[in-house]
Amino acid sequence: MSGYVEGIIILLFINGIAAMGVSLLTGFTGVFTLGHAGYMAIGAYTAAIMTVRFGIHWLPAIVAGGIIAMVLAYLIGVPTLRLMGDYYAIASIGLGESIRLVLENWQSFTRGARGYPGIDNYTTLTVAGAFFVVMALLMFYLIKSNFGRAFKACRDDYIAASLLGFNTARYRVLSLSISAFYCGVAGALMAGFLTFIQPVMFDLNKSTELTAVVVFGGLGSLSGSLIGTAVITLVTELFRPISQYRMLIYGAVMVIIMVARPEGIMGQHELGPRFIRSLFQKKNGPSKALEGSDGL
Amino acid sequence: MDTLVQQIINGLSLGSVYALIAVGYSLVYSILLFSNFAHGGFLVIGGYICYYTLAALGNNIWLSGLAAMVGAGVIAILVERLAYKPIRERTNVTLYLLIASMGMSIVIENVFVVTVGGRFRALPPVIPTDPVNFFGLATTSAFDLLSLAMAVIFLTALQLFLSKTKWGLAIRAASYDLRTSGLMGVNVNRLISIVFFVAGFLAAVGGIFLSVRYTLYPQLGFITIKAFVAAVIGGLGSLPGAVLGSLILGLAEMLTAGFISSQMRDLVVFGMLVLTLLWRPSGLLGKQVSEKV
Repeated sequence: MSGYVEGIIILLFINGIAAMGVSLLTGFTGVFTLGHAGYMAIGAYTAAIMTVRFGIHWLPAIVAGGIIAMVLAYLIGVPTLRLMGDYYAIASIGLGESIRLVLENWQSFTRGARGYPGIDNYTTLTVAGAFFVVMALLMFYLIKSNFGRAFKACRDDYIAASLLGFNTARYRVLSLSISAFYCGVAGALMAGFLTFIQPVMFDLNKSTELTAVVVFGGLGSLSGSLIGTAVITLVTELFRPISQYRMLIYGAVMVIIMVARPEGIMGQHELGPRFIRSLFQKKNGPSKALEGSDGL
Repeated sequence: MDTLVQQIINGLSLGSVYALIAVGYSLVYSILLFSNFAHGGFLVIGGYICYYTLAALGNNIWLSGLAAMVGAGVIAILVERLAYKPIRERTNVTLYLLIASMGMSIVIENVFVVTVGGRFRALPPVIPTDPVNFFGLATTSAFDLLSLAMAVIFLTALQLFLSKTKWGLAIRAASYDLRTSGLMGVNVNRLISIVFFVAGFLAAVGGIFLSVRYTLYPQLGFITIKAFVAAVIGGLGSLPGAVLGSLILGLAEMLTAGFISSQMRDLVVFGMLVLTLLWRPSGLLGKQVSEKV
């Protein structure tokens, strides 16, 4: 396999992990975010500083990146997700930008805006693939568990969910923490893949891209989010020459999907034998055939 | 002392520009209950219309200012009709509106990047920026006093519109309950168009003053994030709250820039947001929004 193709596959795995995190929060719990690149930045810098400066093995460094992102998300989530309304959405933009500012200005620790060079190339295809498979299995299991149903209940009708005894605020914070862990790990893997990181890589555009991918693939479908990631990562690679139109297209696609088909490519269905069978059984598409069921 | 008075005037002037933006954002939020991220786009559109009409009409700020305000208002109506109306007619999930507005904001920003380019443009010197002696206390810029005065004029006009006219009454009713006010005979679609027009109109005023202060570029709309934060500090959906929050934020930002470090100002803004939400979740003047379980 040529190095270029291998690089793209590693990138797909990394973006897939981040997309699963955002998918859990936005797709399954219904909380809009525009700051998840900030959690990726936390993960990336934690892993970079731990491996380069303190000489720690990369595996604990990656996990630590995820955990620190998770703790930060918890601290932000408690005051903002208690409230109904767009509080977290606004706070998330501020958080993402604040993290970038701290990374740029804390010269002695993060080497500032010029970036952090000399990270070991620890993210090989095997490492990225293994992380992806393990984290995807865990996420699919989580979605199908009681927790997954509680998240969806908070999304669909928080009043009904709270009447059934769910502490919806706590579930939203939990969902945010897990999704930040996924983004932190993705960031840490990104650091090991690129061997050089810069605060500007994790700006608002990156956060927007993470959310756009999930919207594109389908709110409430994990496999949809992964398909969305694959499509957007590949399209980005293929259309490098017209990259100045990339953001314009992202924006337009987000609006068009919301207007025409808010459920995205996959709707709330997961890619599985039942979904594929239903495609062939009825000509009027999977959305009719699977009505009322939950995919898989 | 001199610097303090000067920074306070700067802060109030910046805060009053935030107030113009935050009030429009809050108005939309109070009716449709979603954060219109495209609001920053309206501001940029106003700025660019002003820039190009100034060149075309021979530096007449009154005429091009009017063109910018009306133009941004009309585009705000168009954005609502194209992107939000189909969604809000089909579903009441505000998440979809939120995502569509984010998409719209990216589209507006990048339309400018692609067509006129991302470079920074300075408005011709139509708004005086000469230093002025402020009652012997401090030296400040005429621009700061002017933007403060304009903000007061426009906010008073908005207050009169909301309290004295029939449509103002309808908007106040809709902010309590949009559906019921529709049942009472208010033309909801026209009401939402008026609200978006007002929001775009005020955003353009803010856009013109911001493009004099910071020059004009497609990403200028990001500044609305601070207006959003100001609206949250004051209480989401409350117009007096949006004004109060904006003034506090402008002051905090300028005092940080003047006495600590100008790189810290964005961190201070974010810190204030988190502290307000911890201390008073509904904002300074907001309704109680904490989830009842």
